[in-house]
Amino acid sequence: MTSDAPKKRKTKVLRSEGGTPEMKRGRGEGDQQCAEVEKRRMQGCILFMNLKKLNRLAHMRLKRGRDQTHEAKQKVDVLNLQLQNLLYEVFHLQKEISKCLEFKSKHEEIDLVSEEEFYKEAPQEISRPHFTKNDLHQLTLARLDWELEQRKRLAEKYKESQATKEKIHESIEVIKQHLNSLKPGLNDIMQASLPVQQYLSMPYEQTQKQTEVARHLPPPLYVLFVQANAYGQACDKNLSVSISGDVDEAKALSKPPEDSQDDESDSDAEEEQEKTKRRRPTTGGQLDDKRREMLKKHPLSLCLDLKCKDGSILHLSFYYLMNLNIMTVKTKVSTSTDLNAAISAGDLLKSDTLLSCLYTSDHGQDTPNPANRYQFDKVGIVCFADYVEELGHPYKWVQSLGGLNFPRDAAEVPVEDSLSASKMESTMKLLRGRVQSRLALHKQFASLEHSIIPVSSECQHLFPAKIMSHLAHWTTITHEEYRDLAYTRHVTDAGLATETDLYFMGVVERGTARLQAAVVLNPRYPEVSPLFSLSLSWKGERSGRTDDNLRAMESEVNVFRDELQGPRPGHQLLTNQISRLCVCLDVYLETEEQDDSVEGPREFPREKMCLRTVRGPNRLKPFKYNHPQGFFSHR
Amino acid sequence: QLLHMSVFSQSFSPCGRFLAAGNNYGEIALFHEGPVFCLLSTDSHLLSAGNGEISAWSWTELIKKNVKPVWTKRPNYSSLEIPEINAMDNSLVVGAGDNNVHILDLEHGVFKQAVLQGHSDYVHCVSVREREAEVLSGGEDGAVRIWGRTGQSVHCIEVYKYESCARPQYGKWISCVTTDSDWMLCGGGPSLSLWHLRSLSPTSVFPLTGCQRQAAFHQDMLQILAVGEGPFVSHCLLGGEVKAQIPCTPQSLNTLQLNTNSTEHRVLTAGGSSDRIDVFTNLSYRAFSLVF
Repeated sequence: MTSDAPKKRKTKVLRSEGGTPEMKRGRGEGDQQCAEVEKRRMQGCILFMNLKKLNRLAHMRLKRGRDQTHEAKQKVDVLNLQLQNLLYEVFHLQKEISKCLEFKSKHEEIDLVSEEEFYKEAPQEISRPHFTKNDLHQLTLARLDWELEQRKRLAEKYKESQATKEKIHESIEVIKQHLNSLKPGLNDIMQASLPVQQYLSMPYEQTQKQTEVARHLPPPLYVLFVQANAYGQACDKNLSVSISGDVDEAKALSKPPEDSQDDESDSDAEEEQEKTKRRRPTTGGQLDDKRREMLKKHPLSLCLDLKCKDGSILHLSFYYLMNLNIMTVKTKVSTSTDLNAAISAGDLLKSDTLLSCLYTSDHGQDTPNPANRYQFDKVGIVCFADYVEELGHPYKWVQSLGGLNFPRDAAEVPVEDSLSASKMESTMKLLRGRVQSRLALHKQFASLEHSIIPVSSECQHLFPAKIMSHLAHWTTITHEEYRDLAYTRHVTDAGLATETDLYFMGVVERGTARLQAAVVLNPRYPEVSPLFSLSLSWKGERSGRTDDNLRAMESEVNVFRDELQGPRPGHQLLTNQISRLCVCLDVYLETEEQDDSVEGPREFPREKMCLRTVRGPNRLKPFKYNHPQGFFSHR
Repeated sequence: QLLHMSVFSQSFSPCGRFLAAGNNYGEIALFHEGPVFCLLSTDSHLLSAGNGEISAWSWTELIKKNVKPVWTKRPNYSSLEIPEINAMDNSLVVGAGDNNVHILDLEHGVFKQAVLQGHSDYVHCVSVREREAEVLSGGEDGAVRIWGRTGQSVHCIEVYKYESCARPQYGKWISCVTTDSDWMLCGGGPSLSLWHLRSLSPTSVFPLTGCQRQAAFHQDMLQILAVGEGPFVSHCLLGGEVKAQIPCTPQSLNTLQLNTNSTEHRVLTAGGSSDRIDVFTNLSYRAFSLVF
């Protein structure tokens, strides 16, 4: 700015110079002009000089200004850098602080004794109550110290106990060895005392041996063994229990420790299966082997001998199927007297029907363990009944006696003593009753086949003295034959004739009249009375379905069991029923209306005393016999 | 099996069955000890008879399953054995096993002194001819007797002596008598036959096999229904031909009843030697069975 001002002044001067030369020419004076030029040149030079000087000045100033800004800038940069450093330092410190705050000490995981306990138990030099009471950190440190102290002490104690334990172990070993050395000596004494025992007839040895063997029984058989023994000793002297079978094999089976027993036997079985696979590549053979494996019996079995009053013995052999976890039974009856073989009685003592339906609907054909169904599916066994012949019958009561309780679809089966005990008495009574009734039936059948109806003196009063009709024939028939008879349709339809029942055909005759009686005998006889269906062929064919009087006869025989069963438990029911059938046939024939148009004497003269021959809307005949008076009346 | 037994014994007791006021039959048969041979229902009571006694049961009580008879009565019998009562009819004429017909006065509840005597064997059935106030009875001796107001036997028809209806192979007893003023149906050992009462002669004989146990007029006497031996209900026309035989479950039928009391339940029921009672809603086929 300072340089600008002089320049302006110069231009003003120049303008004034430019105007002047023309005015000077006008006047025409030379010298004057030269002096003028010189003067002007001088002035110009000075002005140039001035200009130069100003220019330099301006440059100088500019340079100085630039330097000044640069200096200031550098100063600011330094300050900025310093700030950055400081900020970074702050951030770092903050991070450190938070890290410290988050630090977890190991001591927090250690369970310390509570504060009160610590003050109570720790000695003063560790707890230092005056010092630690107010300082939490010191307190924690002190407590940790105490903990360490205690742990050291306990470690010491543990070591000591270990040592004493070792010592005791050693002493036990010593005592054991001593006891083992005693055993042979005791055995010798036993051996020596045997003759004495025999002499004094004390069966210690025998029972001991038996219990020794019993140890190897599977649990269900063992339960049965114990219970049967107990029952036999307490209530029933005629029950004897014995164990048969291969003891060594059983020992081998029961050797492995109990917890791993199942697994091992399983893997054993698998190995065996694999072996057999290698041996026999045919699939049929494999399945057969698998089946046999599944149906394997335990090597030991239990024999129960039940003696009846008349000297006959019921032998029961109980088996345990290991892989199916069920028990089966085989039966045999031996009698004191030789039974003369009655053909129709053949089935009565056969083992497969003897005990069927001991309890209601217990046929013993199918396995009672629901889990077996799946096992059977695996090896392709369609139905257990095919194997019953070989294995024995798995009746439900057998399972109960062995303490096996199968609720519906439960895989785990506990072995219960109480179950066996609760069933023992009733089952034994039922068994005995069954055998007796079968033997009684057997005897009756023998005489029935010779057309004699045995009537005991107690039941004499049920029948008149003179019975004209007689039993002509008594045979056994099959279920199919029974089903095919026309006059038994209603019984079959009512579901009262099943596979398990026994069927008989009796024929009662008098003159030309012939009465067929088809009999259903339930296995639970005499608890369930036999059911008769009648068909008479006399002047045409009639049956209980078509003739009201024959129907009345059926009811007379079937329904009034209380009158007919005789002394308890009613072994004479069947023979009494047959006798009554004969009496009823007599009445039926004798009271039949005489056809006046036919000449000649009646075929069946009336001998029975009847109050009235017919009664009621359907003109029933009097089938009821009144004992002391000896006449017949209506029901 | 026990269940079957009880049904067996029940079914042997030949129940007369009525469905007059309601379907509660099951009960009557279940609480009776002896056989129930006949049942009758009046406006308020159900009367049942069997072994010598008549019992009355109130319908209203029965529906509530209260099983106590209102009263029990027994005619004066002269014989030793307790005779059964075989038939009853509306004004309570009782035919009994002592060969006599007793009349019970329902208003006083006593048996009239006059006992209708004359049958030589037990009385199977009785029927009242309302217009003439006469009583008809049929008995085992084969006679149908018509008793007058005074208690005298007015007529005695010995049916088995008429050749057209006699069937000696079955016997001579008369087991059913029904009457409708001038006409009488009777059957049993002899064939079921329709009689004109004023002339006392048979007009038509129905060719039914077996003995008929009960017969009834139907549709204003145009049709006759009969049951007896054989598992069917026979429909006959007055002229003497058999129109149809409808099969039913029991092997032989003892009783037949038409429910005329209510218009909604116009059914025919038939029972016999089975634990089932067949019900016919339409006369031509069996609708269903009631089971004891």
